[in-house]
Amino acid sequence: MISFKEQIELFEIIGKELNEETECFAVGGTAMMFYDLKDSTKDVDLVFTDRKSLNEVKFALDKSGFKEKTNVKIFRNYEVAETMPIMMEGKKTRFDLFYREIICFKLSETIIDRVKEVHEFGNLIVKIVSLEDIVLLKSATERKKDRDDASEIIRKANIKWDIIIKEAFHQTELNKPLFVVFLYDFLLELKEDFKAEIPDNILKELLKMSEKEMVKRLKKKI
Amino acid sequence: MKILNLAKKIEGLQTVSTISKTLNISERTAINYVSLLRGAGYLRETIYGAKKIRMYKISLLKRKMIGNPGFYEVLDKNSRVGVYSPYEEDRIYGKKLSIEETIVRAVKTRKFRIILSSLGLFSKVRDWKKLNYYAHKEGLGRNIGALYDVARKVIKVRKIDKRVKNSLLKSKVKSKFIIPLIKSKDLKDIEDEWNVYIPFNKSDLEVYKE
Repeated sequence: MISFKEQIELFEIIGKELNEETECFAVGGTAMMFYDLKDSTKDVDLVFTDRKSLNEVKFALDKSGFKEKTNVKIFRNYEVAETMPIMMEGKKTRFDLFYREIICFKLSETIIDRVKEVHEFGNLIVKIVSLEDIVLLKSATERKKDRDDASEIIRKANIKWDIIIKEAFHQTELNKPLFVVFLYDFLLELKEDFKAEIPDNILKELLKMSEKEMVKRLKKKI
Repeated sequence: MKILNLAKKIEGLQTVSTISKTLNISERTAINYVSLLRGAGYLRETIYGAKKIRMYKISLLKRKMIGNPGFYEVLDKNSRVGVYSPYEEDRIYGKKLSIEETIVRAVKTRKFRIILSSLGLFSKVRDWKKLNYYAHKEGLGRNIGALYDVARKVIKVRKIDKRVKNSLLKSKVKSKFIIPLIKSKDLKDIEDEWNVYIPFNKSDLEVYKE
């Protein structure tokens, strides 16, 4: 586990190691720490829009003492993932480096447009995705504490549910039809088990979308 | 009402009058609520609008202010022409963004309003060598030199170091256009001297004389 201060220090080290300006998007617990919704995180999740930047950061981490780890299953929905993250393990934390997509969720242009914060650490530019997108991503990367994190965000922030619906629809258009099914399951669980305040009409809408996508998938198989 | 719920209801930019209308309460109660929100840390900033009306930035997230102000904040605070940041937070760590670097970054954006705003920063340049360094690094030497001359036409600017001016004049630029395909109708003398195209006409610069 690393604290916010340690995370900042790590970003500063990477920023110094990089030879040119490199941009990435912070998601998950890493992003939550910037919003002051979390004190520490197990792993640092970064998403890149180009391979070169990802490799540069991987190389910088390698120089800073991180070692690449393979064959680690970290997500429930691993079997549907098209691209696997690169995992760089350090003494106290692990960096998960994603290229364009996080399991069944794509880093779309709309997510990039919604970025709320930019933090510059030398040559490393870290953009923080919006809270709505963190909730969406949590449903794709569902790990042990993801449900706690998502319900904490819903409790403490004003989530714009229309954005959640729009992005779920957008993901199906981006050839990620299963995402909406995972999202519905995830939000339903949050509402029932964690008593999160999720409007009923949002769940109904997502259920409708999920059923439509499942029917499409079944027709394809037949 | 719980303070968190109160903050959720009026998150965003508010005045005493908008709070009283949204919550259907008197202005006196609205002032008390503002004080409660400030105490709980949900009131991030007080901004003074036209006629000195107080506007309160209410946010549910009590973010830590770490690092140093980013590009948009430095530009906005140091120029007469304000710019709106597309981000809620824009921070730089490990260093302070200098006026000289901010000018070069502004030109790099190739955006009209940002470059117009950056002209105001020339009056605060102290280290011409630094400006020369960043301009060369980004391949914007002659562009920066030309904008310095434009700034001199509308605001009081210190005289540039001769060696720096010569260095900027001789520099190679990535593009003669500061903003793609935009040329000036009135500032031909500066365009000819620096062999670049200025994106402003005299009327655009009036904003500095107001």
